[in-house]
Amino acid sequence: MSAPAGAGPVLAALAGDPVLAAHYADFRAKATGALDPALVALIGETVAAVHGMGSAPDESDLDEATRTALAYARRMPFEHTAITDAEAAAVAAHLGEPGFVAFSVVTALADAECRAALVDLPGLAAA
Amino acid sequence: MSTTPRVSSAVPGEPAHFGSVLAHQPAIAASFSALYGRFWGSDVLAARIKEVARMRNARVTECGFCRNVRFDKAVAQGLGEAEVDDITDGYETSERLTDAEKAVLKFTDALIHDPDLLTVEAKAALQRHLSPAQIAELGLGLTLFLALAKALITMGLEPEVMDRTVLPTPAVLEAAE
Repeated sequence: MSAPAGAGPVLAALAGDPVLAAHYADFRAKATGALDPALVALIGETVAAVHGMGSAPDESDLDEATRTALAYARRMPFEHTAITDAEAAAVAAHLGEPGFVAFSVVTALADAECRAALVDLPGLAAA
Repeated sequence: MSTTPRVSSAVPGEPAHFGSVLAHQPAIAASFSALYGRFWGSDVLAARIKEVARMRNARVTECGFCRNVRFDKAVAQGLGEAEVDDITDGYETSERLTDAEKAVLKFTDALIHDPDLLTVEAKAALQRHLSPAQIAELGLGLTLFLALAKALITMGLEPEVMDRTVLPTPAVLEAAE
């Protein structure tokens, strides 16, 4: 298992526990590594924008399938119970079932990490 | 909210549930299992407090599966159904939950629902009852509880009916370490 790589409020908060941090970094890396890095970045920007943490990505040059996935991602922070079977099927048709599983984890994790940042989890863990 | 699986089981002969669906991504599943085992195996923060936060997340995210699962380590630490029943709106007035648990619940609500709930007083209460290392572990737990509950729900894996089920607490598999 590699050492934690990349930023993020949860990893930052776990600085005092290298073993747990490495496990979390590995889980995060396995989840994001299952998707196209460009899509992962777009998901992160899209979810962050819903939380008011930056600008939404410019979707004008994106294909329809990616725009469909990002529309789905926008629902995750505050409307996860309202996502319909049809919306899920549209994303799964683009990504395939394994891809949809990874997408679901990565999108939900992006939402949770934004929320951890909004309460300044790293600051609380370092106090 | 759908109770019709939106992803098929990747395990022949098994219905679609969180484990069999996550098996579409074996590397993610294995890494999550190792992480979750390490998290629950750590005693930096008591399992009872972790379970209090998990139960609150289950209610707020409307994760029926999560709401009906109990981990035995927390049960052994005295978290019974009477205490769990108090983990609802108005928990502040509970006579069964400790002050530390109430501070954890307020932080839970702030992280998973509305960051404005982490007032100066709520932050002070959290820091009075939990050390920085405990807060870090709680933050990790909440991140995982929230993300996995939402992933489960949006993949249509909510059970139509489920009895309350006490499960062995996730643990580190020695062979994986």
